[in-house]
Amino acid sequence: MAFEYAPLIALLPLASFVIALVAGEYLPKKGGLVGMAATGGSLLLSIWAMLRVASGGFYDETLYTWVAGVGEGTLSLSFGLLLDPLSTMMLVIVSLIAFLVHMFSLGYMNDEGETGLPRYYAGLGLFTFSMLSFVFADNLLMAFMFFELVGLCSFLLIGFWFREDAPPSAAKKAFLVTRFGDYFFLIGVVGILATFGTAQFAGEGAFPQLAEEAIVGGETLFGFPAGTWVTILGLLVLGGVIGKSAQFPLHTWLPDAMEGPTPVSALIHAATMVAAGVYLVARMYGFYALSPTAMAIIAFIGGFTALFAASMGVVKDDIKQVLAYSTISQYGYMMLGLGVAGYVAATFHLMTHAFFKALLFLGAGAVIIAMHHEQNMWNMGGLKDEMPVTYYSFLAGSLALAGILPFSGFWSKDEILYEALIAGLENPVLLAAYAMGLLAVFFTGFYTFRMVILTFHGEPRSDHAEHPVPLGWNTKIPLAVLGILATVAGFVNMVPVAELTGADITYLSHWLDSGPEQLAYSTYTATAEEFAHIHHAELTPLIPGAIALVLALAGAGTAVALYRGPHPVAHTDKLGGAKDVLVANYYQDEYQVWLAEGLTQRVARGADTFDQGVVDGVVNGISSVSLLGSGRVRRLQSGVVTNYAALITTALVVLLVAFGIYGGWF
Amino acid sequence: MLAPTQLLVPVEWYLVLSAGVFCIGLFGVLTRRNALMFLISVELMLNAANINFVAFSLQWGNLTGQTFALFVMALAAAEVAIGIGIILVLYRNFRGIDVTEATTMRW
Amino acid sequence: MLIETLIAVTFVAALVVFLTPEAYAPQVAFALSLLPFVGSLFLWTRFDASGNALLEGSTVAFETQAQWIALDPYAINWHVGLDGVSFPLLVLTTVLVPLAIMSAWTPIQERISQFYGLILFMEASLIGVFSTLDFFVWFVFWEAVLIPMYLLIGVWGGPRRKYAAIKFFVYTNVASLVMFIGFIALVFGLGDSVNSFDMPAITQALHDGQLSGFAGLGPDMLALVSFIAIFFGFAVKVPIFPVHTWLPDAHVEAPTPVSVLLAGVLLKMGTYALLRFNFTMLYDVAATLAVPIAVLGVFSVIYGAMLALAQQDLKRIVAYSSISSMGYVILGLVAFTVYGIGGATFQMVAHGLISGLMFMVVGVIYNATHTRMVGDISGIADRMPITAGIFVAAAFGYMGLPLMAGFAGEFLIFLGAFQSTVLPGAPLFTAIAMFGIVIVAGYLLFAMQRTLFGAYRLETDYEITRAPLHDVVPLFVLIALIILLGVDPDIFFTMIQDAVDPLVELGGGL
Repeated sequence: MAFEYAPLIALLPLASFVIALVAGEYLPKKGGLVGMAATGGSLLLSIWAMLRVASGGFYDETLYTWVAGVGEGTLSLSFGLLLDPLSTMMLVIVSLIAFLVHMFSLGYMNDEGETGLPRYYAGLGLFTFSMLSFVFADNLLMAFMFFELVGLCSFLLIGFWFREDAPPSAAKKAFLVTRFGDYFFLIGVVGILATFGTAQFAGEGAFPQLAEEAIVGGETLFGFPAGTWVTILGLLVLGGVIGKSAQFPLHTWLPDAMEGPTPVSALIHAATMVAAGVYLVARMYGFYALSPTAMAIIAFIGGFTALFAASMGVVKDDIKQVLAYSTISQYGYMMLGLGVAGYVAATFHLMTHAFFKALLFLGAGAVIIAMHHEQNMWNMGGLKDEMPVTYYSFLAGSLALAGILPFSGFWSKDEILYEALIAGLENPVLLAAYAMGLLAVFFTGFYTFRMVILTFHGEPRSDHAEHPVPLGWNTKIPLAVLGILATVAGFVNMVPVAELTGADITYLSHWLDSGPEQLAYSTYTATAEEFAHIHHAELTPLIPGAIALVLALAGAGTAVALYRGPHPVAHTDKLGGAKDVLVANYYQDEYQVWLAEGLTQRVARGADTFDQGVVDGVVNGISSVSLLGSGRVRRLQSGVVTNYAALITTALVVLLVAFGIYGGWF
Repeated sequence: MLAPTQLLVPVEWYLVLSAGVFCIGLFGVLTRRNALMFLISVELMLNAANINFVAFSLQWGNLTGQTFALFVMALAAAEVAIGIGIILVLYRNFRGIDVTEATTMRW
Repeated sequence: MLIETLIAVTFVAALVVFLTPEAYAPQVAFALSLLPFVGSLFLWTRFDASGNALLEGSTVAFETQAQWIALDPYAINWHVGLDGVSFPLLVLTTVLVPLAIMSAWTPIQERISQFYGLILFMEASLIGVFSTLDFFVWFVFWEAVLIPMYLLIGVWGGPRRKYAAIKFFVYTNVASLVMFIGFIALVFGLGDSVNSFDMPAITQALHDGQLSGFAGLGPDMLALVSFIAIFFGFAVKVPIFPVHTWLPDAHVEAPTPVSVLLAGVLLKMGTYALLRFNFTMLYDVAATLAVPIAVLGVFSVIYGAMLALAQQDLKRIVAYSSISSMGYVILGLVAFTVYGIGGATFQMVAHGLISGLMFMVVGVIYNATHTRMVGDISGIADRMPITAGIFVAAAFGYMGLPLMAGFAGEFLIFLGAFQSTVLPGAPLFTAIAMFGIVIVAGYLLFAMQRTLFGAYRLETDYEITRAPLHDVVPLFVLIALIILLGVDPDIFFTMIQDAVDPLVELGGGL
């Protein structure tokens, strides 16, 4: 059996979207069960597809022609499926997280008696559909289209509680900021289609391959040398990535997006929207590997964002805000990994992060239910004894996030930093990116354990914290599953252990190296070395790994030392002015809001005044002049017969004289 | 058919007379406010034309001009009939026959 | 004889509705407006055109040609027929009219029979505009559209309806006059090589280089002057900056169903005519003037979007954004590629549906709240969830969300414009025009956030009730059509491409 059923992976959630939208009111759990069934089906099909790929299968077919062309110059504008190791792995992650989020939502939304649930489950279904379709898209155009739909779904779900003021505003911001990034992405898609005549990721005549041939052949594209043009196109597409993956400077939408329901945050951060950006870079890695400039920019933005966001996470009091900044920071690591040709490392971190971040958000969601929708950590405390399942799973996620041995995050983050270091030893720009990433490790350990200690340890600091609401199975099962995954997922690619023991246990590398040669990890590395000039120095992974681990432990230890005890003190207040800057997020929001509202609105009003005054003024002016003129002329019609007679006589005389002069009578 | 004859009075004199009568009529039309005087002035102008018709008819020995003069007289009679009718309506509506008073048809 | 039947049926329907008692007029008008709709679907089953109706070597569907008035030296013929460019617009017209009629059931409460009669009269004229291939007859239809529109705005409009109606009428009429003079000068310049106002014949003569001078102008100069005059005439209709100011006034004053037709179909008359006259008959002049035209188009995109951003009235927002969307069409036309011109034609249909939907949704909200000002209302989604949901869908359609018709149109235009060989610096123009998609998202999201979401608040003295079914049904139909066209643009794009391809080959583009 081949891959005929693969489209169902995405179509099942689409069906659940339609069903929940149309008949959600009348269904058990308001459509939640349908959504669970659909995403569960997707999960099974994804696993099956992954197994097929594992046994040497590969699928790259155009299934639906969106716009067929006639005549010459026809471009292939179509939808198709590309199932290779990368996409099937991502399919499994996405459908798994979506399934668990659906289950968790039964506890978080249904049991809390929310209204509008069919809308909620429809949104989740559409979100899952869009993301899955994006993941297995076989060309950039299809990827863009579902990338945009993912943005729509985030708008719908972030703004779920539309009766309040903040969520619609956050939803608007999320869509608008990512739309700004997608603007560049769209130019990139159009440019790639116009340049190469195809947007296929893989196969004979795929656009990364054509780009490579153009560079090798020294061609000139659109008036630029091929290498420059490829860099321009790559950077344009990168605009969309920066928007969706919340990289500096387009990260500002993500913390606001915490206004959405917490399961939605889990979905957005772990598996769908934010992951989409990084996944896109990995998907078209053969293209980025051609451009040294694009790679360096990716690495630098990634490293910078990792540090930048981690520093802001240190001072947040809202548990979801801490997680939001940690997400930005972790995606920064992935970008850093991709930028230094650490394709496996970045993909690895994408996977482990999906597990532990989903876990952390769902854990935070469990805490928030227990706390009657209180999110400020200073009102929590002492929850560890009341909620053991949540505590231990949350702790597992936190250890993974902080990057502490042997939890999953350690292995993947360590590998990224290792790759960055060995690339950086050959290239100072990458070394700077590495330094920032390394420094961020300390902050990550600090804010993670600050969060854990404040939430779960010490004495309860509010009534709700003393008597938390008990949780149902539908919240505990997802936490348990993800807790296990967050702990063990790192074992699939233990590079330092492999180095130490010589055992061949880097399964993920082998997995990503299987499949067609064009999409294989080793090909990407070779391309990056040849075209992007990213060389890797010889170095054992043990020492860098140890440095990162020590930094993480130092950060975590500092947090534990500062905040332990029954009544922790707000130590970050001692930072003084620096804290104000951090709490205000380096004033990034301010200037972006000023750009979007202050400046643009002012220009718009100016244009409106110009339009009403000058452009329409001329039109109205012409009409006024003719009205005024006619007002004057019509006064001839005085109604007095004598005047008419006089006019006629005068006119006759004038005519006679005129004819006389003209006819030469005089 | 009359033969062209040497007129006792040259045709120029008729023309001068006609022009004189016409100018008197025109002057009346332009200056008089009384509708009856207006009408009379128009009659004068018509008759000035008649004088021309007849004079030229005699000059060229062609009866068409005389026929036209008769037509103009009939027309003038009809015109007076309508004119008097208008004057009556004017009197009824405006309590007078001053033509400058009836200016309801202006802009 | 099928097109003639279609036009005649619609005219008769208009007469019948004029004479129908007020009580039944809405239902009768709706039922009768389904006749042209069914007729156009029937035409679709037999549609067999290939190539461009104005160019040689094409098959025109349902063509009839008969001499009507044998004037010397220019005969006036009855010549109708459809090709891949005009047929989608014909379908758009016949689809939108029944929906607009249904959306009028609530707001139109006086002179009902006349209202629906005029709408059907306008539909008949519109069918004529899109199907006629003889300039004289075409011009008669073209002008005949204005009269019902003038009355519909002037009689059933808002407080400043007289101003808006007169502005609309005078503006477009002056434009028609300029266009008429430009075209007639062109025909006279062709001298003996044409003996009728038949558009394919004139096109052929122009392409064969038969143009000689007229009124002291040499052939090149005459072509240029005529092009500018014709372009001006149609630019008003489209509208393109700076001759757009009649549009917001007309939209704001017009009742909802009239706005739907004004934005949905009437604006497309302008772009359709631009394609037929400026970009087909005088394609070589269009190519030499590519840069200024593209500048106008791109500027209209950004300028219209910026103006929309400054508005407080929902209808004005949509009205200005129409200017923006029509700018894309101009960019697509001037690109002179299959995707550019084809995408522009597709965008005409897509924008017709989407802007029609947008005006309808605003109308439904207005029926319930009696205000359209953004500041007067908030949290409508709480009381009118379905309407609000459709508003969101329509707004995202307007923003060019993939899998909806607007994206297909805009994407194809961008693709075509980027590839253009006729337009120097095409990628740059395209990139600038694309920024419109960000601004459009900005103002629609702002408008949605302020009116639909947040706590429920209404500043007028009306109690909000759920919209009646007949208000909502047209919205659902339009949403379904927009998604259908977005998922499968080939429904129209195949025939559009077929008609555009010969034209592009002519221009030597891609």
